[in-house]
Amino acid sequence: MLATHLYSAGRALDRGASCSASSLLSSTMSRAVALLVVCALLVFGSSGVFAASNKNPLVPNAVPPEGTYDGEDVKQPIEFPHYIHADVNKINCMYCHTYARRSKVAGIPPTGKCMGCHSVIATDKPRIKKLTEYWEKHEPPPWKKVHDVPDFVHFTHEKHLRRFVFDNKGMKVENVSEVCAFCHGEVKKMTVAHKVKPLNMGFCRRCHEANNGPHDCWKCHK
Amino acid sequence: MGLKNINRRGFLKLMGWSGVGATVAGCDMPTTVTLEEGKETVTSYLVPEEYAIPGIGVWYSSTCRQCPAGCGLHGRVREGRILKLEGNPDSPINAGKLCQMGQAGLQGHYNPDRLRTPKVRKDGKLVDITWAEALDLIDQHVGASSGLNGARFAWVSDSVSGHQAMLIDNLMSALGSKNLFIHEVVNSEVARSVNQAVLGDATPRYQIGKAHAILSIGNDFLGTGDSPVHASTEYTEFRSSPRGVLGVVEPKMTLTGANADLWMAIRPGTEGVFALSVANVLATKHKMAIDMLPKAIQTAIMKRNLNEDARLTGVSGNHVIRVAKWLSSNPGRSIVMVGGTAEGQVNGYQNGVAAMVLNVMLGNVGKTIVASHEFPFPQLEHRAGGTAGLLDFVKAIDNGGLDVAFFSGANPVYTAPAALGLKDKLASIPFKVSFTQFDDETSQLADLVLPILSPMEDWATIVPKVQGEEAVISMQQPVMEPLYADTRGLGDIVLDLLKKRDGATYGNYDSYYAYLSQAFASFPANMAADGKAVTWNDALAKGVIAVKTGEKQLKAKLDQVAVALPEENAEYPLTLIPTPRLGLWDGRHANIPWLQEAPDQISKVVWDSWAEIHPNLAKQLGVETGDAIKITSAQGAIDVKVYVFKGIHPDAIAVPLGQGHKGYGRYADGRGVNPLEILDTATVDGTNELALYSTRVKVEKARNKDTLVMMGDHDVQMGRKMVSTVTPDVFELTGGEA
Repeated sequence: MLATHLYSAGRALDRGASCSASSLLSSTMSRAVALLVVCALLVFGSSGVFAASNKNPLVPNAVPPEGTYDGEDVKQPIEFPHYIHADVNKINCMYCHTYARRSKVAGIPPTGKCMGCHSVIATDKPRIKKLTEYWEKHEPPPWKKVHDVPDFVHFTHEKHLRRFVFDNKGMKVENVSEVCAFCHGEVKKMTVAHKVKPLNMGFCRRCHEANNGPHDCWKCHK
Repeated sequence: MGLKNINRRGFLKLMGWSGVGATVAGCDMPTTVTLEEGKETVTSYLVPEEYAIPGIGVWYSSTCRQCPAGCGLHGRVREGRILKLEGNPDSPINAGKLCQMGQAGLQGHYNPDRLRTPKVRKDGKLVDITWAEALDLIDQHVGASSGLNGARFAWVSDSVSGHQAMLIDNLMSALGSKNLFIHEVVNSEVARSVNQAVLGDATPRYQIGKAHAILSIGNDFLGTGDSPVHASTEYTEFRSSPRGVLGVVEPKMTLTGANADLWMAIRPGTEGVFALSVANVLATKHKMAIDMLPKAIQTAIMKRNLNEDARLTGVSGNHVIRVAKWLSSNPGRSIVMVGGTAEGQVNGYQNGVAAMVLNVMLGNVGKTIVASHEFPFPQLEHRAGGTAGLLDFVKAIDNGGLDVAFFSGANPVYTAPAALGLKDKLASIPFKVSFTQFDDETSQLADLVLPILSPMEDWATIVPKVQGEEAVISMQQPVMEPLYADTRGLGDIVLDLLKKRDGATYGNYDSYYAYLSQAFASFPANMAADGKAVTWNDALAKGVIAVKTGEKQLKAKLDQVAVALPEENAEYPLTLIPTPRLGLWDGRHANIPWLQEAPDQISKVVWDSWAEIHPNLAKQLGVETGDAIKITSAQGAIDVKVYVFKGIHPDAIAVPLGQGHKGYGRYADGRGVNPLEILDTATVDGTNELALYSTRVKVEKARNKDTLVMMGDHDVQMGRKMVSTVTPDVFELTGGEA
């Protein structure tokens, strides 16, 4: 009972971006102490309590990380519809984010890659016209970053894809979007990406514990 | 409380609260830094190169430009940004190693104080103009129709080489001017002129790695010599089996001195006496032949008296005997090097000759001191310079004046002693152009300030000052796109000016890159060291082109040696040593925070100036480390904090070079003092070089303790034996088993 209670409180905190360091600085001492007690309980109590959570049948040998977050709506130079590409047309995430399996960053697709299709497909659509304008100016659209971790965190897409996709027995590469969704949510149902996972240390740690990822500090904090 | 004016108490308070925040947050708190959605722009490639993968670095070869040594670089580039510099293993200069100045080249490139647009001075203030307007303005003053008299044009530059040097030469001839003044404060010009006179070769190669015993007389070859990294790689070989012995004699301990088996403090200006004293012991005690020397020199050696010399130099006779023993056991496998504090004396030239006498006696010439390579492209060779360039420039202003002056690389307003009056004299030149990355002291007086590309963004070919086993041309290629669109390469600017003078020859080249790539389009096989043609891409990938060189032999020709003692000066009893450092160098790197915060190798002080004084002098003055003293020469005074240090002769006082900038960006401005300001303008006899280390000064206590920020507090172990030590003698006896 206690475990369930703590777990739901933990999720609430993951969502609660308002409980930020800056607000803590301006809060009173007594509130901070009270928070300290509650949060410390959460931190110590939350690990391992979610283990029985929703496994994804499309991703064998993996426990998806728990946690939600409601990010800001980021205005992009072109309102890129992920759902048309990844859901309607079933294009593999790694077709465009081609660096994900090779590098620490997934990479924004080169504009040339967009134009590979869109010099002939849907050329009359306003978004494609805008894209073509950029292309003709020899400028990539100034995309805004949605998902990020601090500079002191070394996160690599390549290692995570190897663990959950390429070295994962029984995992089909065509279902890779389910693995991407662990941290990015169901992007294939979105237009422009929206941050729906907290991507903080608790989120990372719980996944590493559940999936037996490395536990050394220096793995991420090099 | 703004972050800018936060004090210690406020900082601790904030840290306390942050600590609470961190504990409360645990691992689940979304930190402020993770909440950057929509703030940063991610720029994708338009069409990527096949090998470019975001997140994975690509290494490019280039050449370091932080000092004149010309070490080869490898630069790691990721997402179009240069992130890390290392040495190029293919360069025979540095063999894959790189010093702290080289590593810190990044901070010169990314420096927030870099100039971004051309500026012209109007009514005393600098205002933005376009490049076209700037070049037109230059053309009005030096163009074909300007009526410029070449003799009234001067260009003051730091040392240059390669195709930039050739283009500058060609421009100078097009303008009918011979006034190209190469100016470097940290230089070896006196030693070079001794080498030229005695050996017929200004830059012989000292084969440190092949020597078994080295005596350095003031030459800080590991720190601020002609090629510190090259010397260090050779030094590794010198110290490996059999372990060579190093003796260093100098007034103030340098990095090389700190590495010595025997370090000897010498009274500044008596280095020649010391050298002849060693020669005397070699001849009398070790019976080494001196009949190969001219009679006059033989007499000079034989009349030395060990005890009397010890009194004059401050180096004990026992030490002289010990050094002589090392040298006499290694004839033909030893080197006596002279430089720095020994050559920068009024009698510095003769100090150099006296050291060369030792080399001749020991049979080192042709064995450990070999001829420089006969470089097949003389027009590309390294143009070294010293302070003669500065003095000649001042002379050119005095004798009839100048109409136009260009400045690149050198910052003479900062490096010139105040006694030269350069600052005022510059006012008489109507049009002064500064090609610079930063708003340095010279640019502050210029009429036109043109922002040039950083070495990370520009093309060049570099011929190193001192070549290694193979002579090379080192390629400098941009490792990233220019940070600022409105900056230009120096090569491009010179090419533009040449086009206006000689369109027929230079009109076909769109850019300096086009000029260089055409020059290297077919590097002939018979000019390459390995007999294979070098393509442009090969040259860029490898970073160096080894060229075929001719053989030269050294032949020593000594005439006479006349060592003189420095004059007594009752009013100014001490000698000021403005010490160059492997860090801020001559002050050009004072705007690089990494080098400011890197502790000085000897005193461990950071971000400041200090004066090294001997404990005896400190006692006499009643000062201790941290107190401030006033150092007064006949030319002026500086006020600086004291660092009491045993590694200095009691008659010397050492103040490091590099600080005391007025301007030159936020990291350099108003920090410490510039000892060059109070130097006398006496020159080294027989040369036109300033005697940099001979200015006589007096000191007095100025203030009580101030903050001198340094790593560690004292240089002794307080009897705690944290590091066990043995003397070299004991080590030799026991093989290190004691």
